[in-house]
Amino acid sequence: MKFQLKNILAVMALAIAFTSCSDDDDNKITGEGSIKLEFDNVYGDADFAFNTAYTNSNGEVIKATKVKYIVSNIVLTKTDGSTYTVPKSDSYFIIDEGTATSTLLELPNIPAANYKSISFGIGVDQEQFNLGATGQGDFLTTAQNAGMMWSWSAGYKFVAFEGTFTSSTVTTDTSYMVHTGQTGTSYNYNTINIDFPENAMVRTTITPQVHIMADVKHIIDGTNKISLTSNNMGGMGAMIMGGANLPLITANLSNMFEVHHVHND
Amino acid sequence: MKKYIIIFLSIFQYGFATEKDSLAVHNPFLKFHQFIYELDDDCDACGCSASGGSMGFASMLNTNFIGIRYFNQSYKSTDGLYSNSPWYDENFNTIQVWTRIPVVKNLQVSALLPYHFHNRETATGTQNISGIGDVTILAMYRLYQTHKDSTILTHTFQVGGGIKIPLGKFDQANNGSVNPSYQVGTGSWDYLLATEYIIRRKQFGLNALLNYVVKTENEKKYRFGNQFNYAGTFFYLYEKNNFSIAPQIGFAGEVFGDNYQYKQRVRNTAGDIFMGKIGFEIGKDKFSFGVNTMLPIVQNLTNGNVEANYRWSINFNYSL
Repeated sequence: MKFQLKNILAVMALAIAFTSCSDDDDNKITGEGSIKLEFDNVYGDADFAFNTAYTNSNGEVIKATKVKYIVSNIVLTKTDGSTYTVPKSDSYFIIDEGTATSTLLELPNIPAANYKSISFGIGVDQEQFNLGATGQGDFLTTAQNAGMMWSWSAGYKFVAFEGTFTSSTVTTDTSYMVHTGQTGTSYNYNTINIDFPENAMVRTTITPQVHIMADVKHIIDGTNKISLTSNNMGGMGAMIMGGANLPLITANLSNMFEVHHVHND
Repeated sequence: MKKYIIIFLSIFQYGFATEKDSLAVHNPFLKFHQFIYELDDDCDACGCSASGGSMGFASMLNTNFIGIRYFNQSYKSTDGLYSNSPWYDENFNTIQVWTRIPVVKNLQVSALLPYHFHNRETATGTQNISGIGDVTILAMYRLYQTHKDSTILTHTFQVGGGIKIPLGKFDQANNGSVNPSYQVGTGSWDYLLATEYIIRRKQFGLNALLNYVVKTENEKKYRFGNQFNYAGTFFYLYEKNNFSIAPQIGFAGEVFGDNYQYKQRVRNTAGDIFMGKIGFEIGKDKFSFGVNTMLPIVQNLTNGNVEANYRWSINFNYSL
C-alpha cells in the first residue's frame, strides 16, 4: 500500500509540475498597429437584408432599400483609461449597407495597447461643419457622391434610411425616407460610447477586428417610436427629414450600436 | 449505485442466457485485458486534439497490440451572430495508428498517431483541411489488481500520465467565429492524467475512466481550454476457442474549459457534452475488429454554436 501511495504522489507531483508553468509577457508593449471596425447591420437579432419584411412595434411592415450613416471622430480608450483619438483628417466614414467594403474600416497607426472601449459620432460634428466647405477636405465630395448631403447650407445627412412600408391603414407599398441632420433648432449629432466585451489588443503583429452590431430597427423603433403611417402626408409617403422627429431619432441611435465580440488575430 | 450495476448486469445476462451455457470460462482474463483497454477511446469535441477524448486509448481484447482506427465526428455549427444565421455541417475524420505495449511489469505505454481530414460547409463552398495530427503518448501503471481466483469480483485500478506532442498544424485562420476546434492540431504541448478502474464478475464488467488534459499556450498564443473526459462502459466477454466477442454499452462525457488567446478568455468556447455509446469487438486468433457509435444525450458546446450530431469508429488490431 505504501508503494502505491508513492506512485500516486509521483503522478500528482507530475500533474502539478505540468500545470504550474506559465510565462508573463505583458511587459513592454511598443510600436503601432492597426484596428479594424466592422459595422454589421442587423434588424433586431436577425442579419439585416434589403427588401426583407420586418415588422416594427407600430405594426408596420417595412422593407428597406437604403441604410447609410456617417461614422466620425473615433476615439479608443485603453484599459488604463487614457485615450487615442484618430486624427480628424482620417476620421470620417460613410457606412453603406449596399457597399460591403464600406462596412469594414481599417484604422492605421494605432499605438499598441489594450483597448477596452470606443466612441464615435454619427454624423459630422458642428465644429467640423463650421470650418466651411473648404475645411471639409475630400469628405465633402465623398458625401455628395454618396447622396449624404442635401446642399452645403442644409448640411450633411447623418443617417439615411429608406424603403417602403405597409400598415393596417396603408395597404399598398408606400415609400419612406428617414434622413437625419441639422435642423434650425437642433444639430442632431450624436456620440456613441460602447465597451468591448473583451480587450482589443493592438500590437505591431496583431490587428484586432471589432465586430459592431448596428441594429437598424432602433432608428425609428427604439426608445422613441416614430410612426411611418402618421408621417405619411397625403399618401405620398413618409418623409421624415426635419422637425421634432429628428432629435427623437438621434436619441434612438444611442442604443443602436453594440460590440458583439473582438477578434485578436 | 451497486444496486444499479447488478440490475444492469442481470439484464445483460438475461440477454445472453443462451450463450452463457457454452462459455469457455477458463482464463477469461487474458482476452479480457486486451479488451478493456480499447474502451478509453476519447474524441474531443475538438477535431484538433482528437487523441481520443472520451473514446479511449486501447483495445479491450488485446493488452498489447498495434492497430488502425478510423473515426468520424459529425457536427454542425453556426457563427451565432444572428437569429437567422445559417447552420453548416462539419465532418471530422481521423485515421489513427495506435499501439499499446508493455514496458515493464504493470506498466504499459500507448501511442496514438492520427491523420485528420476534416471538411465543412461555408457560405462560399466546402472547405477542407487535412494533415498529420498531434501524437499522444500515454503510460498507464497498474496500481492494484485482485487475483481472479480469490474473489467473485475482480478489480483493476490503473493510473497514468501522458503527453501530446504538437505535430499537427494549428492554423490561426481557422480560428474565426465558428468552431474553434476546426484544426488538425492544437499547436501546443499538452499533458494528460488518466485513471482507469475495471470491475468484473465472470464475463461481465464495467470499465470506468477519467482523464484530464492540461493544455498549454501554443506559438500563436492560443490556448485551448483544459478538458476533462469520463466514460463508463459495461461489457460482456464471450470466448470460445480462438474466437471472442465483446458487446459493450455505456456513456461518455467531455467538459471543456474556456479557450484563451493572448491570455484573454475567448467567449463561447467552454462547453460540455454527455453521450451514450454502444459497440462491440470481435477477435479471432491475433486479429480483432471493433465498432463503436456515440450519440449525444445532453450537450452545450461553445454556447450552443456547435452541435455534435454523432460519432462512430471502426478499428482493426493485431495483437503483439
